[in-house]
Amino acid sequence: MGFARTSLQGVTFSIPRKAYNGYTLFVPIGGKDVRLINMRGQVVHHWDMPCVPGCHGVLLPDGNLLYAGQEGTGQLTDLMGSGGKLIEVDWDGDLIWKCEDEFLHSTFCRLRNGKTMVLKWIPVPKDIAAKVKGGLSGTERDGVMWTDSIQEITSCGKVVWEWLAHEHLDPESDVICPLGCRDEWTHANAISVFANGDILASFHRINTIAIIDKQTGDIKWKFGSSHELAHQNGATVLDNGNVLVFDNGLHPCGFDFGYSRVLEINPKAGKVVWGYQNSCWAAFYSSIMGGCERLPNGNTLICESTSGRIFEITHNYEMVWEYVSPFYHDVPPFGRTNIIFRAYRYGPEYEGLRGKSLDRPV
Amino acid sequence: MDIARRSKYSVTFYEPSKAYDGYTLFSVAGRNDVWIINMQGQIVHHWDLPYPAGEYGCLLSNGNLFYQGSVPIEEAPLPTFGGIGGHLLEVDWDNNLVSKYDDLYHTHDAQRMENGNFMIVRYVPVPKSITSRVRGGIPGTEHEGTMWANVLREVDPNTGKVAWEWLAYEHLDPESDIICPLEQRIEWTHCNTVQILANGDILTSFRSINTIAIIDKKTGDIKWKWGPGELCHQHDPTMLDSGNILVFDNGAHRRSSGPSYSRVLEVNPKTNRIEWEYKDNPVYEFFSGVAGGCQRLPNGNTLITESCLGRIFEVTLSGELVWEFVNPFYSYWQDQHQNFIYRAYRYGPNYEGLKGKKLTPMRFNLLNQLYGPSAFEE
Repeated sequence: MGFARTSLQGVTFSIPRKAYNGYTLFVPIGGKDVRLINMRGQVVHHWDMPCVPGCHGVLLPDGNLLYAGQEGTGQLTDLMGSGGKLIEVDWDGDLIWKCEDEFLHSTFCRLRNGKTMVLKWIPVPKDIAAKVKGGLSGTERDGVMWTDSIQEITSCGKVVWEWLAHEHLDPESDVICPLGCRDEWTHANAISVFANGDILASFHRINTIAIIDKQTGDIKWKFGSSHELAHQNGATVLDNGNVLVFDNGLHPCGFDFGYSRVLEINPKAGKVVWGYQNSCWAAFYSSIMGGCERLPNGNTLICESTSGRIFEITHNYEMVWEYVSPFYHDVPPFGRTNIIFRAYRYGPEYEGLRGKSLDRPV
Repeated sequence: MDIARRSKYSVTFYEPSKAYDGYTLFSVAGRNDVWIINMQGQIVHHWDLPYPAGEYGCLLSNGNLFYQGSVPIEEAPLPTFGGIGGHLLEVDWDNNLVSKYDDLYHTHDAQRMENGNFMIVRYVPVPKSITSRVRGGIPGTEHEGTMWANVLREVDPNTGKVAWEWLAYEHLDPESDIICPLEQRIEWTHCNTVQILANGDILTSFRSINTIAIIDKKTGDIKWKWGPGELCHQHDPTMLDSGNILVFDNGAHRRSSGPSYSRVLEVNPKTNRIEWEYKDNPVYEFFSGVAGGCQRLPNGNTLITESCLGRIFEVTLSGELVWEFVNPFYSYWQDQHQNFIYRAYRYGPNYEGLKGKKLTPMRFNLLNQLYGPSAFEE
């Protein structure tokens, strides 16, 4: 393992007066720990989960933790992002709710109405799969191409709304990256919900983020597949109606230099209005996973997954906080790694932290 | 600039009992310097050249430096292609010019041959009748309608006389030497390495078609080709004493949906089997999308240049890290603030080219205070 890059751990940099003061939640892949750290990197709360993540957790406004876990025995368990279990626990780790389905994967979104938006793998009907263009020929999974459904489920597990990707995408123009496998058409990896109920989804395999009309299921807006994005992740809705996305830069079109960016896109104007990349491009790169969150003070929290690094920058790209996870696990096929899917910052005023004891490191 | 990864510089790790003792030579993209450092990271020699690196320098056995320098981007005939060169020179230890040759179409690599000639990689346009048949790449992305390939040219630097030439498009097959689907059709080949083998044959690397090849110097025939399906935008193949080929497999457009990673591998050209491979743990910790170097050392270790992050490191055959250096010299080059090193070389203390040379850090006291290991000690 490279020495220089792994020798600095914990909070490596901090400008307290410029950073958004609060607590950062993250889940090391391959471990069963959800940790909440303060701005000095001390763990102030910890949940011990029954399974490894598939792929992350979120602190809800009611103070519970909602966690996507990996069940590990389903038929798609070897696909990236495989999950299978959604688990909600309270502050003390007691089970509040769970939902199990071997096709659950990657991420989720708890709605204000108490229901949960989830991602599930579904097979593409054979006649459509045959027409889907792109990807490496003959790499379907036992002859099957999978895609995603987005489902809104109640606490009883009842599906009250469903959106099937293959009913709304075009096999001709929603083309799989030429270097990707045809085991999946879309590989959704992010869902975020607008105030009006519309859904922002990120489809990794076809380099596309899309806004789905909740009423009609129509795709109102798409972005990325004309070489604007390269296997993006972490797409999230901002208060101003814009969209923030982690543009990984895997399989970039037309050039080889691997580097990542975080982009803010105005869907109405259809263009990028803010973007961050490192001044030494290769020094910010996560070819897979990746997360980004706009903070209330205008800063952006970025999770550079493959290096287990979470950092915060100002609007003018000044680094004001950086943390490198010291928690390593064996994660086949990657190796021994501190990789993190996504991280979230919660201010001390956050509803979900009300009344919680956060003074003493655990 | 991220802090964790960019705050440790110079030699960050060293196991003297396991590393190959010697001196490491490197140049930096965008800078006119060639440095030699000792195993501790102290600067022991320096050349200040008239041009920035395009792409690197190496120490000849006669003790001279063979250096490839870059013309300014505005003057390059094909600025969008990368690997800008243009100036080739040989200077002695004290930076006196021995010979030079300018060629605006030179790119990526050249060798100074034993007979004093330079073997140069340069650009040449592909005839349109062939261009239309070349498969792969992003449709419609030829450069103003032209596709470029490479020619290897042996030239006498003193007279300019061309002693030998090899045009890639005369020996490759448009049907089967297919451009990577995510590369532009500006280039068919994108040659980034030329190596002269002991028998005079040429070992070369074509990035865009993921292919390394051995060319028979006498006939021009390609004696051996390998790569598609295994290599991904590779650089720096060299032939080892065993006859195997060591190569830096970059991995920028790897066929998979998994993470990017680079690896160095050793392939047996008789069997086309990979007989050794180095990858990091976790795999994505070692990655350079472009460039990259690998050198097998006399003690069996391998010196690897992870170009994009300015890191040179040495591993044993079992993959154990025994030496690591992070380049503290930065430049502002091609819109980036970076410490990019194309290719670095280690020379043992008994190397012919170092005979009689003074290699003490004392000559560079001030530079070592600023850029040597003591500047970065905790």
